[in-house]
Parts: sequence; C-alpha cells; structure tokens
Amino acid sequence: MTISTESMDGDITRVLLDGRLDIQGAAAIDMRMNVLAGSGKFLLIDLRNVTFLGSMGLRSIVIPAQAVRRRGGKVALFGPVPMVEAVLNASNIAEIIPVFHDVDSAVAALC
Amino acid sequence: MLTAPPARQSCSPQGHAPREMFMDNSQDRLELDSRLTELSRVQLWIDAVADRHGVSADARFPMQLCMEEALANVVLHGYHEEPGHSIVLWSTAAEGTLFFAIDDQAPPFDPLDPGAQNAPVGPASLDSIQPGGNGLRLLRRFAGSLAYERLSNGNRLTIGFSIPTLK
Repeated sequence: MTISTESMDGDITRVLLDGRLDIQGAAAIDMRMNVLAGSGKFLLIDLRNVTFLGSMGLRSIVIPAQAVRRRGGKVALFGPVPMVEAVLNASNIAEIIPVFHDVDSAVAALC
Repeated sequence: MLTAPPARQSCSPQGHAPREMFMDNSQDRLELDSRLTELSRVQLWIDAVADRHGVSADARFPMQLCMEEALANVVLHGYHEEPGHSIVLWSTAAEGTLFFAIDDQAPPFDPLDPGAQNAPVGPASLDSIQPGGNGLRLLRRFAGSLAYERLSNGNRLTIGFSIPTLK
C-alpha cells in the first residue's frame, strides 16, 4: 500500500492511495493519514487504485475524516472500484463521507 | 499426516458446512499463529485455493474480505492479540460452493449471535460513527453462507461462497 499527495486549487489535498487497504495496508498509511488530517482542511481521497478495502482500512479513512471535520474541514472519496464501493455502502460510510466518480463533482463538494 | 477436522453439530441455521468433505490435503489447510501479521499468508493461501478452483478475481474479493474480518476478530477479540495460539484454516469445494473453515481455541464466540452485532445501522454522522464497528457487518454482508460450531476446545466458523462455475 502506498500513499502520495497532490495539492489542488481551493486548498484541497488529493490523497492518492494505491494497493490493498487491508490490515497491513492500513498500518502502512495510518501515520501519514493522521498527519494529513492534522494539516489539510479539504481532503480528496483518491481510491481509484485501491483494490481491496476491509474494516481496518475503513478505520484509516474514517478516523482522519473525523479529525478533519472537527477542524472545520471536509473529506470526499473519489473513484472506488465496484467492490470497494460495495464495502463503503455496506458499512454505511458512503452515507457519511460522500463518494464521487468524477473529480469535478468531488472538488465542488469540498469547496 | 494431517487430519481433517472431525464432524461436529452445526449450531447455525444460516448455513451448513460439508464437514465430511474437508480433504486431508495440505493445500487445503493452513495453520497460523494468532498474530495480525499472519494475515498476509492468508491472502496468498486464498489466492492459491481460488486458482485451483478457477475462481475469478471479482469472486475472490468477498473471500479475502470475509476471511480477513473473521480472522481479525479471532486475533483481536478472541486472543486479545496474544501470539502463540494456533488458528487452523480449511478449504473445500462442494456443490458449487467454496467453503473456508476457521478453527480456533479462543473463548466461545458466535459471530452469528444477534448479540454480537457491530454498531447499529441507521442514521449516523461522521462525528458519531464508530470507526471500528464494521467487521462483523461486512462478514455477514459478503459471505454467501455462515455456520458457527462450538467445538470442545474452541470455535469453528465456516464461510461459504457460491461459485456457479465450480465443479
């Protein structure tokens, strides 16, 4: 699991995740995600290259999202593959953190 | 010589594991220590099982997910992350279904028990949601069938996945 970031207009940080967000994957990104949650106000979490998502991976998204929210920011999820989106739906996370499949809509939701 | 798990009475109305069909074959058995780091071996093992049975990539996702959730539950809650305990996995195929069984010696825990629910489903906000409350929910949602058996010295959870192309 790898994590990288890009700065976008509107003070948005795009967080690109790549790989399996399983227990090992979650452990690999947790520290970086927490740092981003403490510094970024608007996070666009790019899930296009996430091939697996489990409950521990969900924690790696939800806990930083809660931290961003407490600081007055917003988080959006972008581009999950169908099975990853099914996990987001089954866990009700998709009802709480918006999921988008086009980047313009995701950016608009953050601004 | 490996031995197949002995037959035991199913305690679950939600699914039946063909216990008598577990094969005495090392390819169908994996023994783990009770550590989360062992789960990377499970992913490879499931892929190997799926390869042998011609399971598609998409159909492997729920297998990987359910096994990770069930095993994480055993390690985190059954053994409280204490290493040195054995967890044995079995697989077998029957009648268009691929079954995985997890045997542990942790205290009794039936994940099908309504009392073992995760955080309640319903309206929630980002502030109120429990970050760790989804493992059992995902297991129940993505498993084709689930059967729990209380063993004389532990637990067995059998998870089935319908694979129409399976012989």
